[in-house]
Amino acid sequence: MKRTLFTLLALFMVMSLVLTACGPTATPQIIEKTVEVTKEVVVTKEVEVTKEVEVEVEKLVDRRVVIYNSYASDPAPRAADEELVKMFEEAHPEISVQHSTVAHEDFKQAIRAYLTASTPPDVMTWFAGNRARFFIDKGLIMDISDVWENEGWNEDYPTGFQALSTVEGKQYFLPTSWYWWAVYYRKDIFEQYNLEEPQTWEEFLAVCETLQDNGIKPLTIGTKYRWTTAAWFDYLNMRVNGPEFHINLMLGKESYDDPRVLTVFTDYWAPLIENDYFIDDPAAYTWSEALQFMVDGSAAMYLMGDFLRDSYPADQVGQVDFFRFPIIDPSVPVGEDAPTDGFFVAAQSQHPEDAKAFLAFLGSVEAQQYNADVLGRLPTNMKVDTSNFTPGQQKGLELIQGADFVAQFYDRDTTPEMADKGMNGFMEFWANPSRINDILAQLELDRQEIFAEEQ
Amino acid sequence: MSTSKFFSSPWRTLGFFLLLLITLIWLLPFFTALLTSVRTNDDILTQGFIAIPKEWTLRNFVTAWTRGGLHQYLPNSFIITIPALLGTLLLSSLSAYALARFRFPGNRLLFFLYVGGTMLPFQVLLLPVFRLTDALGLYDTHLGIILFHTAFQLGFCTFLLRNYMRTVPGEILEAARIDGCGEFRIWGQIMMPLTLPALAALATLEFTWIFNDYLWAIVLLRTDALKPVTAGLATLQGQYVTDWTVIVSGALIATVPTVLLFIFLQRYFIEGLTLGASK
Amino acid sequence: MLHSKKLVPYTFLIVPLILYLIWVIGPMAYTFYLSLTKWDGLSEPVFRGLANFERLFRDPIFFTSLKNNLRWIISFITIPVVLGLGLAIALNRAIPGAKFFKASFYSPLVLSLVVSGLIWSWMYHPAGGLINSVLRAVGLDNLARGWLSEETTVMWAIIAVAIWRQVGYVMVLYLAGLQGVDPQLIDASKVDGANAWNTFRHVIFPLLAPVTVIVVVISIIDSLRAFDLVSVMTRGGPYNSSSVLANFMYIEAFNNYKMGYAAAISVILFFISAVFIFIYLWRVTQDELEY
Repeated sequence: MKRTLFTLLALFMVMSLVLTACGPTATPQIIEKTVEVTKEVVVTKEVEVTKEVEVEVEKLVDRRVVIYNSYASDPAPRAADEELVKMFEEAHPEISVQHSTVAHEDFKQAIRAYLTASTPPDVMTWFAGNRARFFIDKGLIMDISDVWENEGWNEDYPTGFQALSTVEGKQYFLPTSWYWWAVYYRKDIFEQYNLEEPQTWEEFLAVCETLQDNGIKPLTIGTKYRWTTAAWFDYLNMRVNGPEFHINLMLGKESYDDPRVLTVFTDYWAPLIENDYFIDDPAAYTWSEALQFMVDGSAAMYLMGDFLRDSYPADQVGQVDFFRFPIIDPSVPVGEDAPTDGFFVAAQSQHPEDAKAFLAFLGSVEAQQYNADVLGRLPTNMKVDTSNFTPGQQKGLELIQGADFVAQFYDRDTTPEMADKGMNGFMEFWANPSRINDILAQLELDRQEIFAEEQ
Repeated sequence: MSTSKFFSSPWRTLGFFLLLLITLIWLLPFFTALLTSVRTNDDILTQGFIAIPKEWTLRNFVTAWTRGGLHQYLPNSFIITIPALLGTLLLSSLSAYALARFRFPGNRLLFFLYVGGTMLPFQVLLLPVFRLTDALGLYDTHLGIILFHTAFQLGFCTFLLRNYMRTVPGEILEAARIDGCGEFRIWGQIMMPLTLPALAALATLEFTWIFNDYLWAIVLLRTDALKPVTAGLATLQGQYVTDWTVIVSGALIATVPTVLLFIFLQRYFIEGLTLGASK
Repeated sequence: MLHSKKLVPYTFLIVPLILYLIWVIGPMAYTFYLSLTKWDGLSEPVFRGLANFERLFRDPIFFTSLKNNLRWIISFITIPVVLGLGLAIALNRAIPGAKFFKASFYSPLVLSLVVSGLIWSWMYHPAGGLINSVLRAVGLDNLARGWLSEETTVMWAIIAVAIWRQVGYVMVLYLAGLQGVDPQLIDASKVDGANAWNTFRHVIFPLLAPVTVIVVVISIIDSLRAFDLVSVMTRGGPYNSSSVLANFMYIEAFNNYKMGYAAAISVILFFISAVFIFIYLWRVTQDELEY
């Protein structure tokens, strides 16, 4: 009985070795254990494999290595990412890029391990703005002012993006892609009921009313992952109180129990919920599951980022268009959310020169043009040719260029912890709009505690 | 008992079909997963989550294997799981034997230490263990994650095996001792064969856990080429857009080794009625 | 001779123990220390005394999570134990297709958690989900609801999935335990004319008592450490109503980067588990006199 079991396990060992004959790393530890448990046949196999691996490792040593870890795990950006690595390797045959992709959520968790490892990845993706600033202040991100200087980015990148990358006169970050947020809608449904893209809040409410009367939910939203609610807060707060107040609130300089914040909820957000303009049970869906209601025509509009069109069924995406979040107070400057992502080099990078070469490529016109053409994202490098942009891209570009202020997004503009509390507050408000006074009072306590600790 | 004899009793037949019904309900989520794996993302969006697809496709399995990187991740899973499994079973059976069969100072304390190690929600250990691995120079190596899994599973295995070894009648061991058997021979030739059902059950469970782990793989490994299958599949989850049909297909492929192992090993902890009789 | 005999258990223990001390007990002890500090995972930890614990006992999410963990324990030490034991006994005999049945009940454990979470949230889907569709089809429309979006149902909905996964696990433990039961005892009780239920109650169940104790201990520890399903199905939402301690800890650690606070939550969890373990160890000490 015992022999059979061990034979079986040995069989598994052999199987795994055969399977891994082409893979890396075999460990001396395994060999020891194998000797104790299985027969000699397996041991010789193991030795052979180890030899093969050694040969392979030697071959690799000739090429210099850049370790690149990316959170571009969405299918389309990921494919583009892989293509960019290939383009770079073709241009620099002496450098091999060791590219790894980590799921976006997991990357946020793993980055603190990456940054403090003795051999960190050399180049990493990250959020521009506050989230990068945090690591810069801790000395974990390398100064790349020389790359900015040599590549002429100080001239080719708009001042807004330069400011996003600069701390005390030195550049640490390379912003490469950004996208806009807007209210997406079904053109065919709007045509059916003779609706126009609303410009003002009154027009927007009228559109909602008409749709509602015709048995169509005006708005879909999936709040299972809470950030979709934050988009509504960002826009309502920016439209009602202006971008300056909004960003100060994000930085902890204004309080959540301010009556101006309360108005956002009571006068604008609550009526939408109480009139049933949103679909039922939004908390049961992720944002993409809630997209289904727009696809099947039971809902007409969705406040979302431009990635919405990546998920929309390819044969129907032509029915989708978007408009600027309606203006509530014309006297208030216009703010928009346009989250920006980019790259940095780890301060502890073991291959700084090659890492910078890779970064220089990622910020080049060539790489950015590729991303813009393939993904329809907006480039940050002004030298990129925008003449072949689709009407959608042109419209998005105008939307952002027409804005007085560009914010990153709630969970990027404020601290992660405040964002966690805030989004929980929005969720609770959604379920119980009447509890808003208590919710804001609690958020204010949280704000004081969180930002007091920051000092 | 032959099949026809089994169904000769109406009560047994009724019980059998009741069991079959419950089993099928139990498997419903599995069937849903299978169904999802042959659909397209657009089909899910237009027809709803659980629906008969308009268009059947096996492309998801191909995509999972090639672009999803399963051909690379699956061997890694074996490289990590098998040594960790053998190591933890071997070492825990040693410590369990000592704790179950010897009276010595600190026995209870050590037993508590082993059980206690399983009581902390392990996610809190992620960063401390990462620091340790990095300090030992084992960050981003298979050896690091193998050693960690081996050590981490010791607590649970020791706990279970110790209790199982307690149930072995002491006379058998005494007889061997009187015959002049060394303790290591008693462990290897008497205790281990008698513990086989527990070892097989443990091997099944541990294989499932180590094979399915992905949090540790994310923290202790940095390079895609080294990652096991669960961590590899997880990278298909985007910030906004996730190719669920490919993930589901990949996950279904990844269940095959575990289910096969279960079917192989179950005879050791299930055909016991005969095993017990010959004892 | 006597001297060397005393050393025997240590020769068995030395290798596993060293490995365990380095990789598990060391980081654990470090976590205990971290619970007294403020640490962001990057800089050096700053000693804070008991501040994390003081804050924890004022945190309403802590108490919601604790309550949810208790619900989890109560569900776990009853339903999966009964079902797992029932299945083990039913399948530990010559039934046509027994292998298929056993593999079926084990399979939920095998399927990746992310996929299980995804599929189950489709089952619970308010509009097109299987559960609501069935309820509506049989005329129970008023029972159909947003299982994962309502405060009152979300925790139970997740626990139900956890039970779905746990039953196969318990079944395997009992199947292994049943191999220790001497079939002659069962035959003897049949000869005495006992029916199946009485045989189970008076012969099998008492013989399985050690396994049951282990299963209960494991169920309690697993309930207290519950994390995965919550994390993939709701992340504790809507607004923390399905939060459990491990998930609460994880968010504090990896979303809010408050490692010290997260460590404090873990330490509390450790002590709660330790209470159960001490009860168990005390029992073991009472029963086991002979070695």
